[in-house]
This record gives sequence, structure tokens and C-alpha cells, in this order.
Amino acid sequence: MATRGSGNFMRLVSDDSNASTLTEDFGNHQEELPSTLPGEQEQLPSTLPGEQEQLPSALPGEQEQLPSTLPGEQEQLPSALSGEQEQLPSTLPGEQEQLPSTLPGEQEQLPSALPGCHRGLEEELYFSRKWDPNLPLKNLPLSMQEKRKTREQRQQSRHIIDCCESWRRSQQHMRKRLREQVARVIWGLQPWSKTMHKIEGKFGVGVKSYFTFLRYLIYLNLLHCLFIGGLALAPALLFRDKNKPSGLTANESRGALDLLLGTGFVEHSPVFYGFYTPVSIPHGGLCLNTPLLFLAGMAAVLMLSAVMELRRTVIGYKHTWLLGNRYNLHMCYKVFCGWDFCIQDPNSARLKHRLIRNDIRLELQEESFHQRVSQRTFRQRLQLYFLRGILNFLVLTLLAGSFSLIYFATHISNKEKEGWILPLLYEYLPSISITVVNVLLPHLFRRIAAFEDYSLTWQVNITLVRSIFLKLATLGMFLLFLHQKDLTFVKTNQPPEPPAKLNSSKNCWENEFGKEMYKLVVFDFLAGGLNAVLLEYPRKLLVEKYPSCSLVKAIGKQSFLIPFHVLDLVYSQTVTWVGLFYSPLLVHISVIKLLLVFYIKKFVLFHCCVPAQRSFRGSQSSVLFHFTLLLGLLIAVVTLSFNVTMRTSSQDCGPFVNYSSIFNMTSSCVGTLPSPVQRTIHYFTSEAFALPLILAEIVVLTSFVSQGRANRKAIERLKEMLIMCSADKRYLVKKHSAWLRTLKSSVSAGTCEDARPTALKDPSGFQPLLLRSVSTP
Amino acid sequence: MGNKQTIFTDEQLDAYQDCTFFTRKEILRLHGRYHELAPHLVPMDYTNEPDVKLPLALIVNMPELKENPFRNRIVESFSEDGEGNLSFNDFVDMFSVLSEMAPRELKAIYAFKIYDFNTDNFICKEDLEKTLNKLTREELTSEEVNLVCEKAIEEADLDGDSKLSFADFENMISRAPDFLSTFHLRI
Repeated sequence: MATRGSGNFMRLVSDDSNASTLTEDFGNHQEELPSTLPGEQEQLPSTLPGEQEQLPSALPGEQEQLPSTLPGEQEQLPSALSGEQEQLPSTLPGEQEQLPSTLPGEQEQLPSALPGCHRGLEEELYFSRKWDPNLPLKNLPLSMQEKRKTREQRQQSRHIIDCCESWRRSQQHMRKRLREQVARVIWGLQPWSKTMHKIEGKFGVGVKSYFTFLRYLIYLNLLHCLFIGGLALAPALLFRDKNKPSGLTANESRGALDLLLGTGFVEHSPVFYGFYTPVSIPHGGLCLNTPLLFLAGMAAVLMLSAVMELRRTVIGYKHTWLLGNRYNLHMCYKVFCGWDFCIQDPNSARLKHRLIRNDIRLELQEESFHQRVSQRTFRQRLQLYFLRGILNFLVLTLLAGSFSLIYFATHISNKEKEGWILPLLYEYLPSISITVVNVLLPHLFRRIAAFEDYSLTWQVNITLVRSIFLKLATLGMFLLFLHQKDLTFVKTNQPPEPPAKLNSSKNCWENEFGKEMYKLVVFDFLAGGLNAVLLEYPRKLLVEKYPSCSLVKAIGKQSFLIPFHVLDLVYSQTVTWVGLFYSPLLVHISVIKLLLVFYIKKFVLFHCCVPAQRSFRGSQSSVLFHFTLLLGLLIAVVTLSFNVTMRTSSQDCGPFVNYSSIFNMTSSCVGTLPSPVQRTIHYFTSEAFALPLILAEIVVLTSFVSQGRANRKAIERLKEMLIMCSADKRYLVKKHSAWLRTLKSSVSAGTCEDARPTALKDPSGFQPLLLRSVSTP
Repeated sequence: MGNKQTIFTDEQLDAYQDCTFFTRKEILRLHGRYHELAPHLVPMDYTNEPDVKLPLALIVNMPELKENPFRNRIVESFSEDGEGNLSFNDFVDMFSVLSEMAPRELKAIYAFKIYDFNTDNFICKEDLEKTLNKLTREELTSEEVNLVCEKAIEEADLDGDSKLSFADFENMISRAPDFLSTFHLRI
């Protein structure tokens, strides 16, 4: 019995399927499976001498040669027949020596693996898997007693090594523990972790993800503050020319109004671009001057944001979309990962049960929806597309209407100058119109999407996409209109405001731009605060005081609409980025604003909101939110580069007064560097570098894409192979059990006594014929 | 370390620290919790490893487990006899595996055990039905339950035997984004 056919068998069976073989059939089948590695089969009834015969899966009809028919082991069969406590070798005491031969590396000997012990699964897995002997004890799936015994074994083996080695290991051990403790302390120091935990318990993971996003934005802005403070603010404050007049006249300061409008004392403070003047730092040479540091600070901030956002988006994309959609395990996740084990409050538990139930119903509804879609007739589809076309047109008209509103608001602002409330209103008109549009239209989009006959998740997605487009487009349009307004001013050389307003910044378009962004940020915050105080809280009071009134019942309590709140955050961060260059302290203002927003939203959540009826797929949408943030950053970068390259900096204000453009300043700095460095920099900024770079990127991208495709094909093939292997296995088991049964019956009937000695006597290939007659039903 | 505690020997505490994800203080705190479940049964002195087991009924009334629909299965999975009687070792083991620091592979093994109601090392359709009923407090119709179980098995079963083996389960769980954040207990 040479290894004829073992090659074929090995084609079907790999090491991994060996492992799964051993774990899967514990106790379920009455027979034991042939352990499938050649040379290792002392175990089983399948008492194989050592190799497998051909089991080509493509030819199921030819499997007369069962492994168990091989001579030399027939006498062991009765032992397998009696006492059918069929257990896998791994759980039989004293026989663990078998398995280690299949596994590389050392194995810990389990002292007492009692058969039938209820920790059986872990022990089985422990032995069938290739557990790294250096794996920390905590990670082993054993019961505490066994872990402690293993620990003693390890310690004893450690005594055998010499003292240097043991000292090194104990040091490693202590260092690991120290690292764990430090990590734990740092993790615990994260602000608001208790609050977040409470929120998660009461309102679910989706709402918590909003607050996590908010906290992330606070960190980001704090980081920006550091950069701006160090590179732009500090040099400006330290090296300021103290003799220069501040330009502030007494009758201009209007107190609180200044704070809101960004005029007066605020205008001449570091908040706006006009404050920063070009000063060379003493002992710094030509390169170290405040403009360059200013530019470096801004560039660093933008690049840092880009890197962080890209990283977050890519990681999220890899985890959720690439794998999630392809393998579509949603129902499984809902069933197995649905319950949050941290819930201790009975109300939250009830809520969670309800959420899970609604989720599952939603998922089932989507299934039936997909079926319904596939059954649509041609006429129905035509009607549906027509309806969708009309609704999309409606959406576009709404967008166009909002853009024109913003256009008018931009152009008639700064018109009124008398009094104080009317100018305030006019100045804030663009911000008010943008906020109104951003608040109303997403709700309208939500209603519209309900008519378009999409599945529920698609409705949410399409509303989200439209809202994102709305927010970014309104901001983009506003910037465009501002630019147009300034251009008309420059062309006609007519100041938009009456000359009564003597202001040194009348020639400073950067300050005006900064002021608009400042007003946007301030109004956004005010709107949030007023919304909480004037709308949410009274609504809650109404609902509580008059619960029986039908109107009140129709309105009901607000539920925390996560996507819209997150988009608000994205919008405010985008505005901060756009205005950063022209109003450097905007990041500091926005840090304070975000902190206040956190507490306001927390108040609204805990006191005025009810938990949502449907759970929010937080993990998938977080990718979308980070991607939107990235888009916002892109808008900011495009606007900034446009302003920097196309428009000349004003001659009256700002750090770049002495240079016609910012690039002139950088080139004069580069000119002072040593010549090899200069030559490299010139090379990097020339076309001769850009083209090969683009080509190289294309080549790399193509290779990644084709690798991805090849991997996907390999995955499909492996999945099919897996199904084939397990079908083989089941077929084998059936055949084997059928054979055992016939053998048993013939043994008990006493008819086959002579067949067996014959088999024993003749080890040549004569068996197959004999057994074929036996095994054929 | 200069602790004046007399509940465990230093050697025992070291062993616990190595075998679980807890620090010394947390292990002592756990012992306090274990003790207060049954003060007359659990001795304060564990230096000679007394063989004390608390019954299932006491453990599932702990506030951390009370609202959990799988509390019985959790406790049964960590007990030596499969009936839910936990010794202190098992108790610590349970909270260690369910703590935040346990790795995914370890949690997957025990999650599989918990969801396997008939302990045949497969999650078959009946196991899934029981899981679902516990999750939704039996408020889904039987047809919905049936649909859900079929769909779940269809999604996760890789080798085509219409039940989930551990390999299938682990493969599915390894890609679940929320598994680690939901499958943990805080004590």
C-alpha cells in the first residue's frame, strides 16, 4: 500500500481543513472521521494505516476504497464499535501526543482533559489550533485551573534555562505590564468618557458616535491652535512694531456690536489678518520672518488635517464598505452582535430589545422590498422613473432658489448703516439665509425621498447625499458671490459702503473675507444655542404639560437626528478651514464654540429628546462623515489657493504687504539657501518632476487594482473549494457509517467471520473486490 | 507590594494577574463582589483555595448580568459542570474574558459557546431561534423568526452544512465592526 493516491487526496485536503475537521464533528457523528494526514492515523476507527486512497471529489461514484478497508487494522474495528463514546482524539486522555505531530511548535500538555467536560470546546480548539507557545496566558481559552497549571509548567521550564535568559524574560514581562498600565491610564484620561458611556447606554451607539466625532473635532482644532499659536500668533505678538498706531478711533468701538460684527476693537486684534505685519526676526536671516512663519503655520495645519482625515476615511472604508457590502453579513451581525452587554438599566434594556426588533423587521422589509423591485412591471418602472425625475427636478429648483436667496442676501448686506439693530440684521443676512436654508431643506429632502419608493436605507442615504451637497454647495456659492462682490468693487473702484465709515480696512479685502467667515461661525453657534433654548426646551415643556392635546401629540418630542447634527459639525469645521488664513484666531474661537456645543447638545439630548425608534448604522456612516469632512477640506484648500494665486494681496494690511504675491516671498527665501538645495527645490516644482510622478502613481494604482481583483477571484475559488471539501467529508462519513453498519450487522449475524481472516491474510489489492460486494447494498 | 490584605497569597495574586486581564486591585475587588453575593458561603480567606461554588441563581442576579438576555448561557459556559455553578476561578475567568482587554479570538470562542444552546459545538437553526427569541423577548412572529434564521445561516455558513461551525462563526465575527464594543462587561 504505497502512497498511491495520497497525492490526489492532498490536493483536496489542506492543513486548515484538517483543523476544521477535528473541531466540527465532535460528538455529532456516530463514527469517527479519518484523520486525514498520511502517516498519522493511529486513531480512528478509520484506523488507517497511513494513507488515503483516492477520493476525487469529482467522481463520487468511485469511492469504493474507503480508508477503513485497508488491511492491517481490521481487528481494531470492534473496539471502535463497542463503547460508542465517539470522541475526537483531542479529548481522550493520554492521547494528546497524536495531535502535536500535526502541529508545528511545542504544545502544552493539558493535564486533565476529561472527556465530557463542559469546557470541551476550548480545549479542543486549544489543541487543534496552532497556539503560539509564547502567547500570554490571558489569551488562552482555558479554564483558570488549567491556565495556572500551564503557568507552573512554563515557570518550571523557565528554571531550566540559565539565569540570564530568565532575567531577560522577567524584565520583558515587567515592561509589558508597565506598558499595559500606562495605556490604561491614558485611555482613562480621555475627557467625557463617563458621559459617553452614559449616552451609549441610554441612546445607543449611533448617538455616541456623534459625540465621539465632536470630541475628535475638538482635538483637531486644539492641535491647530497649537500650530497657529506657535507659528503665527506668537511671532506677531512678540515682534510687533509697538510704535505703529493701532488705527482705532474712539467713536468706532461699539462694544458688544463689535464682537458680533467683527469691527472695531476686534478688527484690530489678532483675530483678523490685518493685525499681522511683516517683521523680520532679528538674527534670523532673510528666511526667518513672520510672513513665512504665518504661511508655514497655515500650510502645516491644512496638511495635518488632510492626513488625519484621509487616514480615518481609509481605515473606515477598508473595514466597513469593502468587506461589508461584499459579504453582506448584516443579519448575522444583528443577531450575534446586536445586544450590548454593558446595559444595566431595565429601561435601556427594554429600549434595546425594541431597537433590535425594529432593526430586524427593517432588514426583513428590505429583503421583501428587493423582491418586490425585481417583480416590477415595465409600466410601473416607467411611472416610477417619471416620478423620480420630477422629484429630482424639484430638488434642483429648491437648490437654485436657495442659491438665489444667498445671492441677494450677499449683495444687499452692508447697505444699512444707521441704528444698531438694522445694520446687525443686514450684516448677518447672508449667515441667516445660509443657516435657514441648511436647516429647512434637509427636512424637505427627507419628505421628498419618502415618495421616491426606495428601500429605507437608500432613502436615508440619498437624503444624506443631498444634504451634504446642499451644505457644501451653499458655502461654495457664498464664497463665489463674495468674490464677485469684491471684484465689482475693485473694478468700479467704488467702495460698497458709504465713505462715512472710515476704516483702514476699507482697502483690505482679506479682512472683509475674514469677517464674513467670522460672522458665519458666530451665527452658527448662536443659532444652535437659540434653537435649544427657544425651540427644543419649550417643545419638551409643552409635551409634558399638555400630553393630551392632539397637536402636541402630533409634534411629539424630538429624537436626536444624528446625520443632520453631524453635517452641522462638518459645515462649521469647513467654514473654520476656509476662514483660517484670513482670520487666524478662528480655530481658537471654534474650539470654545465646540466645547459649548458639546454641553448644549448634551443638555438637549438628556432633557428634550427621546431615543430613536430605529438604530443608526454608525460604523458605515462614520466613513461618510469623515469623507464629507475631507470634501470640506478640499473646498477650503481650493478657495485658499485661488485667493492666493489669483488675487493680489492688499497693500495696506497683512503680513504680505511687501510682496506682490506670496510666492515672491517664498522665492526670496529659497534664494538664500545653498545652491544644491535650491536646485533640488527647483526640480521638485518643475514639470519634469510632475510628469514622471503622475506616471509612477498610475502604475502603482493599476497594480493595486489588479491585485485586488485577483484576490477577490481567489476568495471566490477558495469558498467553492471549502464547500466541496465539506461535501466530500460528509460523503465520506456517510459511506463509512454505511460500511460500519453492514459490518456490524454481518458480525452479529455471524456471516462474515470468514471474510475477515481472508482480508487479513491477503494484504494485496484483492480487498476492494471483496469489500465491494460487502458494501454494496 | 506592602498590601495588608490577607485574602490571597502574593503568589496567588501573581498567578491571577498573569492569567487574567485584571490587576491586583481589581482581583481583590472582584473577590469582594463574589463575597457579597453570598457572605456566609464565601470565605474571606482564599489562601488555601477553598472549593466554594455559587449557584447560577445568585450570579445572574448581579446588576451587570441582570438585564442580559443571555445571562444563563454566559454563566453556564464558564462553569466547570455546565450547570452554572461558578467557583471564584470561574468567576474571575468570566469577567476577564468579557473585559475590554480580551482579544477578539478569545471572545469569539466564548461567544460561540454562549450562543450554542444545545452544546453540540454547532450553532444550528434551533440555537439561532432561541437566540433570536431571547433577543427580541419573543415579540417576532414565528415566520419572521424563521426567515431571520434562514437568512443568517445562509449568510454565514461557508461549508454548506446549514449550521454554523466554529470556523464559520469566527470568520463572520472577525469582520463584525461592533463585536468588540458590544461583547464586553464592565465590573
